[in-house]
Amino acid sequence: MNSKTAFSETGGVTLSVLNPRGKIEAVPVTSPNPRLGGLDGKTIGLYSNSKPGMDNFYAVFERLLKKKYPAAKVVSMQGAFLIRDEDAGALAKQADAFVYGVGD
Amino acid sequence: MAGTIKLEKMGIPGVFMVCNTFADDAKSAAADNGMPNVRRREISSADFYKLRGDVKTIRPLVEGAFDALTRALVEPLTLEETETGEQAVGDDLPAEITVTAGSYRLALEDFNQTYLDRRWGDGLPLIPPTPDAVKWMLSGTSRRPDEVIGTINPKHGVATIEKIAVNAVMAGAKPEYLPVIITIMECLADESYDDLHILASAGSFNLLTVVSGPIAEEIGMEAGIGFMGHGWRANNTIGRAIRLATLNIGHTWPAINDMALTGRISPHTFFTICENAEFSPWQPYHASRGLNKGDSCVTVASVHGESQLNHFYGGMIGTWTASGVLDRMVEDIQRSDRRSLFLWGSKGVGKYPGSGEGPRNHMIIVFPELAAEFKKMGYDQTKLQNEIFKRSSIPYEELNPAERKAMQKALEIGVIPAGRNGVFNKGLKPGEKVPVLVSPDDLHIFVAGGAPGCAFSLNYYRVPPYNKTALMTKKITGAVLTRAGQ
Repeated sequence: MNSKTAFSETGGVTLSVLNPRGKIEAVPVTSPNPRLGGLDGKTIGLYSNSKPGMDNFYAVFERLLKKKYPAAKVVSMQGAFLIRDEDAGALAKQADAFVYGVGD
Repeated sequence: MAGTIKLEKMGIPGVFMVCNTFADDAKSAAADNGMPNVRRREISSADFYKLRGDVKTIRPLVEGAFDALTRALVEPLTLEETETGEQAVGDDLPAEITVTAGSYRLALEDFNQTYLDRRWGDGLPLIPPTPDAVKWMLSGTSRRPDEVIGTINPKHGVATIEKIAVNAVMAGAKPEYLPVIITIMECLADESYDDLHILASAGSFNLLTVVSGPIAEEIGMEAGIGFMGHGWRANNTIGRAIRLATLNIGHTWPAINDMALTGRISPHTFFTICENAEFSPWQPYHASRGLNKGDSCVTVASVHGESQLNHFYGGMIGTWTASGVLDRMVEDIQRSDRRSLFLWGSKGVGKYPGSGEGPRNHMIIVFPELAAEFKKMGYDQTKLQNEIFKRSSIPYEELNPAERKAMQKALEIGVIPAGRNGVFNKGLKPGEKVPVLVSPDDLHIFVAGGAPGCAFSLNYYRVPPYNKTALMTKKITGAVLTRAGQ
């Protein structure tokens, strides 16, 4: 027993203990970008982190997209779990909006 | 999630598609990366994993998700989604907490339940980290309590000496263990170490810590029979302190942002062992990593999850010879590493060439009798590394076209570092042999265990997915209660 374990006047016990959590610095919050007015005529980036099955998902997604928005285009990209800087730059240049699927 | 936010920050609107099992993880990661309102849309994990193997089978799932995904790209943001500012993502709690109950037993129970309810515990009973107990723990190091050693993933919680000490108390450690615990945490918090993969990945990856040098014996670490097991306060509570410190400083919790699907073998202590210096005929393991022989060190190595402990036998399990065990090591490494040769040509799943797939490294644990036999055969660690590297190489003619292509690509994109190009350029020719490892240095060999013992290995990617390295040795410093590690 230690100095911070005290028996109260009513016969109870008070235990003082320290917080084990690491401090997390406050993070500046940013907002997502404004959305598109519509998808027709727009280029949609489909990013996959290369996990199995996303290619099949996107193959169907692309067909549905082009059926509903005939003038829409698709840029598909497979890459790292966390998109690499160069890939992100390339996708941001080509696409007006994107779907990011990780297969998890 | 970080990738979605990276693209959003480049100016294009997007949506993150996530399986619902990972929805909490995605929410947590969105906050960690400063865009809590990034648009996320869920699909059924059960359906996706079952149907994803084929375009035909997955079609109904995509049809069901299509509208939600496309609407996420065009429906205007709500007022809440456009909020900016600064968010505190830590626990809003005081540094000291008080628990009151009618008896010490009840107070102890209340404390334990409170900490577990807050996700501050590991499921086993905790020792209360009272200020006195933490002060006692800090008596094991000369380092200042407020010294910051770095941050721990995934939430980048700040690791101070004091916070590590609080967790060490909770784990039941003793002050003389603290310098070892701090050094392990320094490895994990190092800006080049991939702690995220072992602390959060669905693959249930694990952590092997090897303590080497005189401090191991001085603090009573067990290196003999049962060295990876229970009953050894130093081994077990050092490992548990790391379990609790990473959980609390990095802010992880199972199925929230620690997605290890099966949990981990030895979950409360990781694999925390020491080199058996007394019966090792070789230089200390850390000396093979470039540190001084007389130092006390920790080596931290990420390792694969379940079912990845490869036995080479020995001891009383069956009759054995040193050359027979060596043959098994060679055959096992050749067979297992060959299976991933075709992946060497991949850029990897992370930032660095070959990250998270392709070439591997091996932590090889040799029992004392075997090490003595190896010495008689003329092997020190370096000669043994070279022998295994050479004998596990594969004749060029046996490689299939995909493997040859992958190896050539590995040379082009840097999976094989420039300093090793000569070896592979020579090997990739008729009549030559091609290594299945990048370098003999990727074989880490040391003595642990008793007599009789058993030789085995653990392995992992040579380059991890989220950072530069997953294998690090550091010298222990700051000890005040032991002769070693000061």
